Amino acid sequence: MNTKLKVSEISKIYPGCVANDKVSLEFGSGRIYALLGENGAGKSTLVKILSGVVKPDEGQVFLNNEIIKLNSPLEAKKNNIGMVFQHFNLFETLSVFENLSIDSDKNDEDLRVLVNDILKKYNFKIDLDIPVLNLSAGQKQKVEIIRCLIRNPKVLIMDEPTSVLTEQETDDLFISLKQFSKDGILIIYITHKLKEVLSLCDEVAVMRKGKVVSVSNTIDEKIESLANKMVGENLNTIKKKINNFKNSEEILKISNLNFKSDDPYETNLNNLNLSLKKGECLGIAGISGNGQNELFQILSGEIITEGTSIMFRNKEIGKLNPRERREYLMAFSPEDRISQAAVPELKIYENVALNNFKSSNFFEKGLVNEKKIKEHAKKILSNFAVNTDNVELKSQFLSGGNLQKLIIGRELITSPELLVCFNPTWGLDVGAINYIHETLIQINEQGKSSILISTDNDELLKLSDHICVIYKGKLSKIMNADTVTAEKLGILMGGGSID
Amino acid sequence: MSFDLNFIGILIGAIMASSVPLILAASGELITERSGVLNLGVEGMMIIGAISGFALMVVTDNLFFAVVGSMLSGLIISLIFGLLTQSLLTNHVATGLALTIFGIGMSAMIGKNFVGIPGKEFPLLFLNLKESIPFLGPIFFGHTIILYFAFVLPFLTNYFLKKTKTGLIIRAVGDSPTSASNQGINVTLVRYCCILYGGAMCGLAGAYLSLIYTPQWIENMTGGRGWIALALVVFATWSPIKVLIGALIFGGITILQLHMQAVGLRIPVQLLSALPYIMTIIVLVVISRDSRKIKLNTPTSLGQIFYKEK
Repeated sequence: MNTKLKVSEISKIYPGCVANDKVSLEFGSGRIYALLGENGAGKSTLVKILSGVVKPDEGQVFLNNEIIKLNSPLEAKKNNIGMVFQHFNLFETLSVFENLSIDSDKNDEDLRVLVNDILKKYNFKIDLDIPVLNLSAGQKQKVEIIRCLIRNPKVLIMDEPTSVLTEQETDDLFISLKQFSKDGILIIYITHKLKEVLSLCDEVAVMRKGKVVSVSNTIDEKIESLANKMVGENLNTIKKKINNFKNSEEILKISNLNFKSDDPYETNLNNLNLSLKKGECLGIAGISGNGQNELFQILSGEIITEGTSIMFRNKEIGKLNPRERREYLMAFSPEDRISQAAVPELKIYENVALNNFKSSNFFEKGLVNEKKIKEHAKKILSNFAVNTDNVELKSQFLSGGNLQKLIIGRELITSPELLVCFNPTWGLDVGAINYIHETLIQINEQGKSSILISTDNDELLKLSDHICVIYKGKLSKIMNADTVTAEKLGILMGGGSID
Repeated sequence: MSFDLNFIGILIGAIMASSVPLILAASGELITERSGVLNLGVEGMMIIGAISGFALMVVTDNLFFAVVGSMLSGLIISLIFGLLTQSLLTNHVATGLALTIFGIGMSAMIGKNFVGIPGKEFPLLFLNLKESIPFLGPIFFGHTIILYFAFVLPFLTNYFLKKTKTGLIIRAVGDSPTSASNQGINVTLVRYCCILYGGAMCGLAGAYLSLIYTPQWIENMTGGRGWIALALVVFATWSPIKVLIGALIFGGITILQLHMQAVGLRIPVQLLSALPYIMTIIVLVVISRDSRKIKLNTPTSLGQIFYKEK
């Protein structure tokens, strides 16, 4: 059974943004296709159109030379197009089997037989009767894939599938995808990770600003050539200077940190120990949900734990709240820019004032001194290359990259001794990532310290002096970044051990 | 001895009767909330059900029409809520509060002409068994058909939610409307149906009050029972069986404290009147303190407005 899928002249325009501009592509079964592009390049819009979630303004989709209508997800399913979204479309509180049965027209017994066959055939190990919220990200993804396989898909679309997986889980996924491809399923693989394109896919289409800029066989491509096509300019690569922090004094020391949560969604932390010197960057790697959130909140003072010792600049700060910690020259950039770091409905200058209640003279006798805050905000905008000079703009209208620059700028302008960042470049495009990375290197060079909690291994290897891995609330031993490789991190992140 | 036992039997029968409106309204609201819709208009829908049931009884002289009509009127008024929250995407909380205020005002207006009219006797089933069996007789027999329905309803609701495909879809919509929509489920339709069902049950609960429990029309006769039903759903952590238990405790203590007042116990009346509320909350909190189960039962998207990406 040969499958041919063709999209022809697809356009989709959102207010102020052309998401897809006359996109035409052809796919055939037996091959794995990569759709490569930066955030906002239009990949996700295109696959949303293919899966019936979004309707195109113009253009047609052909399956085996016949026009198909994709007005709803149901119609995509009827046409045997399966889709695994980047953000899982699972029902967390329902069991795995309930999740699978919800859109199946088979009765429960037949479905169970079918699902067990699929589990056996592809060597998936998942308990069908536990709630989905107990599964790891990799297992959740398998549930999504099984949900597609139940319907005998002709086309399987994977949207950024490895962003939540360990290296081992990624390898497993690639083996499965190759197996599906052999079984005649046409696979479209959306990603912005270049290595994956080269190791998995046969053909690659690069998208930029809503247009397809190149289609080629992956054999003919290299990482650099793909990167340049994706970004559209030659990128200068950043190289971290080796810092001479080894002889400097210790600035932060955490000993025997324990945290036990009553919330089943949170992770308990067990006996964490770490120390940090002046000018050092400590990277903390790990798959999301292994305790990073809790660790960040304990560092920032959002969670106060009993009996924990956090020594910072020779002072016990374990009981200080976030504001007091900031006054003692700590700074924080949380993971969730829109809800934790900034208030989207507030204007830029108002957001800038939020972390600075006392130390400056923004407030006099309880009144807001707008003029001073605005001057301060303007300084941040220009010093940190935020692409606007309008401090009256509501923060929600900033792009992710600009918002992150604003947040980092707000934190750094008070010259803190320690910056704790949590996934500072998550979801940003290459240009913004570069800028944030340069800034983080700069503060180390100025003798300030940083803790980088990140799920992006390349970023950690690039910026850290020391690296450790957090797994199920425990820290691995702290390693010198020069001796660490992505493979080693992958093993530790998956709960393995290295010597 | 046998007289005492019989008295206890009659007391239990009375407790069951007083908890019926709570069970009906709470079971309906439970389905609504399980689909992710928070309808605070329970009190308003109940009182509309109460007045329309009573008015139809007076006008048609037919109890069947009265009961069906009360359910229809609850359904229609919940349709207003549905239109506002699901099609016009208004805030659930504000709309629900408005619905209650509207319902109370509207019922008072319609009810003006019906004050003081006597009710009609509602047929009681198995009356001869009630008389002939001591103790168990008054508990199990001699009730109206609506009471029997109310006591079966939580079990049906439980089965429906846990074992049927439709129940699964409702739980899925309440868990994540976006995921459900991406799976091809018509979230808005599902939520409309759940809202309408909840409205019909609240209407029936109101009719039980005005046709059976105190068969007459009195302004504001629901007396906050709608709010109790709402609280029951939350404190019972969206479990139909616990709703039943909670309603019985509330009804039980309400009746018992009345008897205690009558006997003249030297406890302040205010404290006795507050007792049902306090005890119900304590018991439900204690029986549902398993935080894992709460997570699994709570409709994650409760009260959130859902709109489809276009």
